[in-house]
This record gives sequence, structure tokens and C-alpha cells, in this order.
Amino acid sequence: MMGGYGDVQLMREDGKRLDGRAVDEMREVEIKAGILPAAEGSAWVKHGLNIAVVAVYGPMEAHPRRIQRQDRAVLDVRYNMAPFSTSDRIRPGFNRRSREISKVTAEALESVVLVERFPRSKIRVEIEILAAEAGTRCVGITAASVALADAGIPMKDLLVGVASGKIDDIVVLDLDKAEDNYGQADLPMGIMPNTGEIAFLQMDGDLSPEEYELATEYNFKAAHEIHGLMKQALLDSASGGEV
Amino acid sequence: MAEMVPQLLRQQLAELASQDKRFDGRGRWDSRDIILETDILYNAEGSAKVVLGDTIVYAGVKFDVASPYSDRPTQGSLMTGAELRPVAHRKYDPGPPSPESIELGRVVDRGIRESGCIDMESLCIVPGEKVWRVMLDLHVLSDGGNIFDACATAAIAAMRTAVVPAERFDVGEDFKLDVSSTPIMCSYRRVGGRYVYDACEQEEIGGDERIHITLGDKGHLHSLQKGLRGVLSPAEFTEILAQAGVRCAELRELVHSKEA
Repeated sequence: MMGGYGDVQLMREDGKRLDGRAVDEMREVEIKAGILPAAEGSAWVKHGLNIAVVAVYGPMEAHPRRIQRQDRAVLDVRYNMAPFSTSDRIRPGFNRRSREISKVTAEALESVVLVERFPRSKIRVEIEILAAEAGTRCVGITAASVALADAGIPMKDLLVGVASGKIDDIVVLDLDKAEDNYGQADLPMGIMPNTGEIAFLQMDGDLSPEEYELATEYNFKAAHEIHGLMKQALLDSASGGEV
Repeated sequence: MAEMVPQLLRQQLAELASQDKRFDGRGRWDSRDIILETDILYNAEGSAKVVLGDTIVYAGVKFDVASPYSDRPTQGSLMTGAELRPVAHRKYDPGPPSPESIELGRVVDRGIRESGCIDMESLCIVPGEKVWRVMLDLHVLSDGGNIFDACATAAIAAMRTAVVPAERFDVGEDFKLDVSSTPIMCSYRRVGGRYVYDACEQEEIGGDERIHITLGDKGHLHSLQKGLRGVLSPAEFTEILAQAGVRCAELRELVHSKEA
């Protein structure tokens, strides 16, 4: 994240970013629900150049036994990057980064799914990143929420993954690859637009309290926008739209 | 209980077979609809997606610069991996590669490698020092039956549209990967006692052995594989080989039609 900032200029003279976006403008987002025939629920999300596909299986019996909870379901989340998703090929299999993202994503989703409805069971959420270009954990969260809803799993809200950050001392919404590599901060959040709560939160870099406030404001604004696209994708899927 | 359902399904499939019918109403040698897209993944140097009925797979090609094998100092190499990740079906568990996924990767690899369509010498950068390593990854997202043919079709389509990223590695200009022919795989499954082409999920659950045939441009065999429990007669093989000749030609045309 903390690249050689200072030597790479990320803001243009006209106050726009390198790809022409305004500071509070997010990349284009496209969402489809119900795209994987083998899964109980599924979603495809394209966010900028990122592509995430999510399958949901269950609720099913929780095994191994030690993960079972008597009073609620557990979410068995796997975040995985396809070997061809990045510039340099990634060796298949879990690594420390994907383990951590899987864990905090599971905990965030367990905060919105009505897990008490399904004691002793598990819900499998398989997040596959097919193309990665900064912000994949957020795209994964958005796609996972749509896939869970598509599977008919009751939830308090559709959790939306968004991020803001800081480049050239300016707070901007939704970092792209260059901004992520050479920027000064990244603040990914999982937001519940209906309740205004935050279920996922990470940050690295350097932000003043004021900058944090502004970044959060950008995140909430973007979350409301994406929330609308998520609902529309589910409506389209339910009415037999694009599969 | 787990054994009951396949048993009932087997009976049903046998009965359908006796009337020369299939589970989903197709004829014996009919394929499900197949959709092929190429050049769809931003970070892959070659990519393809195949939708075959309820089956969805992606293939991605990546390159890196490696040292050649000491006994082949002027040849690049090809490495094929298949992932049957838990995203693709309830039945797949996380963990190290399963025997099934290893078989899948190796059978697809053999068809491409043995056809000789990749000139390994053309992947040499500095003899004895630097060669291109081609890494072909198969990613199954939805297993609705016959993932072998879906993967093999995606694989050759991704290879044939791949561009070697020489500029990124500072070893000259980007160039198109030279793939001189188009090996195509066709897979047959014994269902209800006789072979059918392109088995769907139910036919796989209630079926027996499978045969994978890879044919080159001239109709020559480049790879064969029999998987699972069961035996076949020479006459049965002759019959499916003739069918494979017809179908491979159609699929080859499909692959060629998606090359820009």
C-alpha cells in the first residue's frame, strides 16, 4: 500500500485523478444475481476492472463439528484469487492475506445474516476473484451479500463493500490500482445503508481524524449508490432476467 | 440414504436408455448449448469462458520467465493446473488439489502438449538461461456435468488468443503465442449401458466410466483417457471415435470463430 509516494503524481493539474474521475467519483459498477446454476445463490460483480463471482451453498450441517454453534449458523467464507487474476500469476491455494480477508469478511457477514434462524448449521460463501485491480475485498463483500440474498438467506440489510483513501494529500473515493499502490491511505468499509451501521472496517496508511470523516462520508455516499444496483440485480434475477 | 438416490437414478437412466432417450431429452450424440467467449479477463494474457449447459469454466494463461530444464536448454515449458474449488458445487471441499482435479488438468494438458501445437523452441529467450514458461489455469465455477470438455475448449481458446508479455519482462516486444493447431476434446459417458456425449450432472451421478478423446486438426488422436470404473469393447470405441471426429470439427470451428 505505502508505495514510493511523492515520486508518483496521482492528481492532475485540473483537480481530476489520473483516470479522469473526480475526487468523490467511484468506478463503474455492474451487478448480476443468480449466475451460477450449481449454486443455491450467486452473484457477479464488476467494479472498475475487478471481477468477483460468489456462490452460496446451504444452510447445511456444520462440519467439522468443532465449528458448530448451538445457537446460530456460522458463515464459512473463502476469499480466493484466481491464479490469472493479477499481473503476476498467483500460486493457487490459501495464503495469509486470503485467510485474513476470509475471516473478517465472515465476521462482517455474520453481523448482517440472521444467523439465529439456523442453529448448528453453516452457510458456505465462496468468493472467487477473477480479475483484481485494487479493492477486491470490497467487491467480494458486495457480491457475497447479493449471493446470500439470491440464496434466500434472511438478512438485516445488504452489506456493501466500499473504500476511500488518500492520494497526494487529498481524500478520494474508490482507489484504483495506481492509487492503491502509490497512495497514502486506504479505508475499506462494509456498510449497511438501511441502518447506517458499519459491519466491516479496515484501514492502513495515514489519515487525520478530519480526513477519516471525509473518507467515511464518501464511503456512505457510494454505498447508497451501490445498494440501489444490488437491489435492482436481485429484482432482475427474480423476474427471470439475465442469467 | 446417500446410496439410494444414485441407485434410483440409475434405474431411471437405464429405462430411458432402453427407449433411446436421455435425462434432459437430448439425442445420444447431442451436445447441450455451448457458449464460448475469449479475451475477457483483464489481467490474463489469454482468457476464455465456456458455458456448457449448467457448467461454467474459465481458462486463463499467464507467462513468466524461467530457467530451462537442463536437458532442454532451448525449450520453454507449459504448466497446466485445474482447480475444482468449492465455489463450483456442494460436493467440492476446500483443500489441496483432489485426484479428480489433478486428472482433469493432466488430461487437458496432454491433449494440447501431445498435439505439438506449441513450438517450445519459439519460447526460448536466451538458450540455457531464459525461457518462457506458459501457465494455463483452469477454473471451474459451476459443475453441471462434463467439465472436461468445457475446460479443454476454454483452454485451447485461451491459448490461441494469448499474447506473450515480453515488454513487461523487458525481453523485447509483445508477440502472439504461436499455437499452430487446435486440438479438441470430446468426452463420452456410459449411461444406462450405452455411451452418450456431453453427460449432464444427473447422467454423471447415475452413470459409469467416461472416455476422453482429443483429436487434432487432421483427425489424429493426441490423447485418450478412460476414467472411473467400467469396461468398453473395441466396437464401442470405434463408434464414439467416429462421433468425436464430427463433433471435434464443429468445436474447432467455434474456437476459430472467437479469435479476433
